[in-house]
Amino acid sequence: MTVLAAINVEAVVIFAIVLAITLGITFWASKRAGSAVGFYAAGRQITGAQNGLAISGDYLSAASFLGIAGLIFLYGFDGFLYSIGFLVAFLTVMFLLAERMRNAGKYTIADVLAFRLRERPARTAAALGTLAVVAFYLIAQMVGAGVLIQALVGIDFSLAVILTGAFMLCYVVFGGMVATTWVQIIKAVLLMVGITVMSIFVLAKVGGSPIELFNRAEAEGGETFSLSPGTFLSSPIDTVSLGLALVLGTAGLPHILMRFFTVPNAKAARSSVVWAMFIIGFFYLLTTFIGFGARAFLGTGGEEAAGKAGNLAAPNLAQFLGGGEGTFGGDLFLAVIAGVAFATILAVVAGLVLSASAAVSHDIWSNIVRKGQDSDKEEVVVAKIAAISIGVIAIIVAVIGGAGLNVSFMVGLAFAVAASANFPALLLALTWRRFNTMGAVTGVLFGVISSIVLVIVSPKVWPGADGETGSPIGWTLANPGILSIPLGFIGCYLGTVLSKERGAERTYHELYVRSETGLGSEQAAAGH
Amino acid sequence: MADTTRVDGPGAQAAGDQPASIDWEGIEHSPEFQELVSRRRSFVLPATIFFLVYYMAFILLAGYAEDFMGSSVYEGLTVGYCLALTQFLMVLVLGIMYLRRADQEYDPLAKKVVDMAERGDLR
Repeated sequence: MTVLAAINVEAVVIFAIVLAITLGITFWASKRAGSAVGFYAAGRQITGAQNGLAISGDYLSAASFLGIAGLIFLYGFDGFLYSIGFLVAFLTVMFLLAERMRNAGKYTIADVLAFRLRERPARTAAALGTLAVVAFYLIAQMVGAGVLIQALVGIDFSLAVILTGAFMLCYVVFGGMVATTWVQIIKAVLLMVGITVMSIFVLAKVGGSPIELFNRAEAEGGETFSLSPGTFLSSPIDTVSLGLALVLGTAGLPHILMRFFTVPNAKAARSSVVWAMFIIGFFYLLTTFIGFGARAFLGTGGEEAAGKAGNLAAPNLAQFLGGGEGTFGGDLFLAVIAGVAFATILAVVAGLVLSASAAVSHDIWSNIVRKGQDSDKEEVVVAKIAAISIGVIAIIVAVIGGAGLNVSFMVGLAFAVAASANFPALLLALTWRRFNTMGAVTGVLFGVISSIVLVIVSPKVWPGADGETGSPIGWTLANPGILSIPLGFIGCYLGTVLSKERGAERTYHELYVRSETGLGSEQAAAGH
Repeated sequence: MADTTRVDGPGAQAAGDQPASIDWEGIEHSPEFQELVSRRRSFVLPATIFFLVYYMAFILLAGYAEDFMGSSVYEGLTVGYCLALTQFLMVLVLGIMYLRRADQEYDPLAKKVVDMAERGDLR
């Protein structure tokens, strides 16, 4: 990316526009985020369609946009496997959790567990699961943001991370869930428009025929690229392990589940998932045109400029489509796609920080420390302090860790923890009568610890001298899901049957009826 | 009954509009509630098994049958890409099927249970 040796003026202008719009929304939203229900759940007044867009905006990270396009550019078919897992995951969300979460919960995952289990241990366990997922995911996104903005705009990595963190905190602290939701909606619209326009440009260059695009991509294929699988994910077991973590992990991501508390009822929660399926499905379909387009037009010669993970393949393709390096059209199109990527990162990190601050203020502070005796106002103040603390810690870790932190490893870890700790505990709390507090605590601990340990001993962390595997215990998989997810369920089961506590069976009646029918569920705030 | 109304639980704020004490166990055992749950389960359970099997089959094919997945259907269009498109189709079809059933079948049944509880038939 030789044009970007200096600061890219077009990109700075586009970034400024994105920031001006989102800060304007935050100012407008700040009046609606004063109460706890406003701050955490946007007053539960988001419609199904709006929430579907916001879920897409919350979910489609820069890793989805630039990362998957880059993987398809570099490896072809294997990059596409990620997209399919990310999309199919929404069936898990819809069939097993979306409506039940809306009916049974209030602001956090822990609310659902605390409904029938002993409050303090259950909330502590759920908060641990939430904070572990957010920690890995947030730091990965911040590092990704720094690397991308550095490459696209030409400013320093640390400055890019700090700026991203500062704006993220602005949205969350001043605008709460209302601002976060609208930032996510705007981002989703920008992203869809951006990728659609790019896809039309790509298809126009090959006479509108996707088949011709595949042929051209294959003709340009280098050493790694293939239309067949097996180029990126070399071990089939690893592929299965990754697939499991993607499909079950999404249903344990706190920032995604939190979105279901923002709609008025289960019907809206359900329709929002279908909206999200269409938007996200369309998006992932188009990423193949971007990835294959980058391969067809940039070819093997474009691999170096796209970076090691291929993250800059999409912006480079935009530059090519706009007329090429050094032309006004090329620079403008590049700047627009960079701006879209920037909005993408901001929307995701804001959602992550909000869900973590809710776990700290609503679960740990309000319900464990203050035992529910604090005021609504105090809870919101604590949530804002928590958001700032979490945001600052993430910025510091990202700046110190620097661009060398392995982003894909941390995203994989976040999904593994979500699938192995949060998902089993939530699903069993909602569907298994016998489940109890000990089961939830051991399940979450098994899930968190096994995911982290298996990733630490994985070959990704121990690049062996022999190149095969450097894992100290001979564990060869990069993705822990295939073992850690069953361990999470086994932890839930063992804790439950080994404990004498039977009280959770009585409170199950209420949770069961409520989660299935919505009887007694949280109502939308009136008077907005 | 101590466990039927919670003052400190997540339901506390919303409980204002509800009858003071709801017989949750009674509702759970009512035929109306049982019908709702069994009808929903009769769709969700097979649909969940189906999508997990279909997705894992695709992943296993990608892992173990590279040549088959890479073989051409028409020029650069591969079997793998076509099967991937059927995954997209499956998500949308199952999503819309569930949405329609839920709106037309499960919601009215759920409303019946809620109405019944709010009238106090089961208290």
